[in-house]
Amino acid sequence: MNHHDVVAQIIEIVTPLAEGGVAVIGEDTQLTGQLMLDSLKVMDLVVAVEDRFDISVPINALAEVKTVGDLALLIQKSAGESA
Amino acid sequence: MKENPRLRAVQAVREELAALGIDPFGVTIDRILSPTEGVIGGRPTILAGTNNYLGLTFDPACIAAARTALETAGTGTTGSRMANGSYAAHRELELDLARFYGKRDAIVFSTGYQANLGMISALAGPDDVVLIDADSHASIYDGCRLAGANTIRFRHNDPADLAKRMRRLGAAAADALIVVEGVYSMLGDRAPLREFVGVKQEFGAALLVDEAHSMGVLGEKGRGVSEEAGVLADVEYIVGTFSKSLGNTGGFCVGDSADMDVLRYASRPYVFTASLAPATIAATRQALRILADADDLRQRLRDNAERLHSGLAALGFRLGATANAVVAVLLGDKVEALRFWDHLLKQGVYVNLMVPPATPGNESLLRCSVSAAHTPNQIDAICAAFASWNGAPSR
Repeated sequence: MNHHDVVAQIIEIVTPLAEGGVAVIGEDTQLTGQLMLDSLKVMDLVVAVEDRFDISVPINALAEVKTVGDLALLIQKSAGESA
Repeated sequence: MKENPRLRAVQAVREELAALGIDPFGVTIDRILSPTEGVIGGRPTILAGTNNYLGLTFDPACIAAARTALETAGTGTTGSRMANGSYAAHRELELDLARFYGKRDAIVFSTGYQANLGMISALAGPDDVVLIDADSHASIYDGCRLAGANTIRFRHNDPADLAKRMRRLGAAAADALIVVEGVYSMLGDRAPLREFVGVKQEFGAALLVDEAHSMGVLGEKGRGVSEEAGVLADVEYIVGTFSKSLGNTGGFCVGDSADMDVLRYASRPYVFTASLAPATIAATRQALRILADADDLRQRLRDNAERLHSGLAALGFRLGATANAVVAVLLGDKVEALRFWDHLLKQGVYVNLMVPPATPGNESLLRCSVSAAHTPNQIDAICAAFASWNGAPSR
């Protein structure tokens, strides 16, 4: 599971949740700032990635997550792989 | 100070409500007449959103106990128990609670919110894992934050999802703390506690159950879902509150751990808060005596809950759970829920409006809490007020 694959899968999951009219979602796209995800949608996103990657993401670790790339790093860490 | 976007977000919600001319989060009860009646906006109103499940707030014996304590021990303790000393009655109430649940010991906190905050943060630290139900009360989420623990959510009322997450933890699962509620305050649904205990035992973790909305309501002697499910002895920590069925203010935890007396000193919300006033302790002790022997009140509460639940179901409303002391009407749209709530108040019925993110599933809902003190006529009047809404399914 390399970083690029994880980012691609997050983009696939987050696209239907996103608002704010961002044309292209990439590694540096901000989840709350640009995609306008509210706290409920962030939780929906977390549950979806937990199912997809078969991991548990501690909610306390989400404070550091601002971008799609940050979330990818957290997923890789939770899955026990190096970033 | 720089601009604060969090405050502006709250302000935006307040302004949205002000534009509609409705303020469900700033209601003043001008006069309280009984456990089930008050005056709001000059109008006599049936109170169906108080959590006063057994209706003990005006119980003459509780009032007499409070009055005696007030006159003999004064208005307040003016300090924390650790720094300024406990009054004998604080410890006596703890022993009463431990006896009631058949547990080794109890700790009394100054609110139910602080009981969760205090227990979770004393039991877990930054290197520990706490697994919580996704629909947990804010006090459970905040307790995890105060603990600094690794906090993992599992799907609401889903023991299989909890087991899956326990398995992912490997050896660390045995040291984890699992937190669930007996009854969830928004919808009134119960936890499948026997199944959760099964998962806990499989992995060797500890279980904390918040019985805030089930104490005095469920179980043969009112000891909550833990008693109803027959797992009282298998739950390590039971947290509860004095501010619902006991008709007062305060919170507690009972447990069998040999560390109960150490836990209180490791709990900042216990150490750094003023202790409960003598009148509160005295009235709560009396209310607990009543609660333990309140089979008749519990039967009345069940009858009232069934009457309200079946009445609203017959009107075609979507309800949150099977009949229980909390009956939630699911409405989906927030603005419709706001207008409906306002309509009920104008009909002389006060219920709670609940909107996302406090509610599960992005639903807005009207939450009724039933009391043993409601009369059948009051329950029927609540149903009639719901039926008079233009958008009621039966109209």
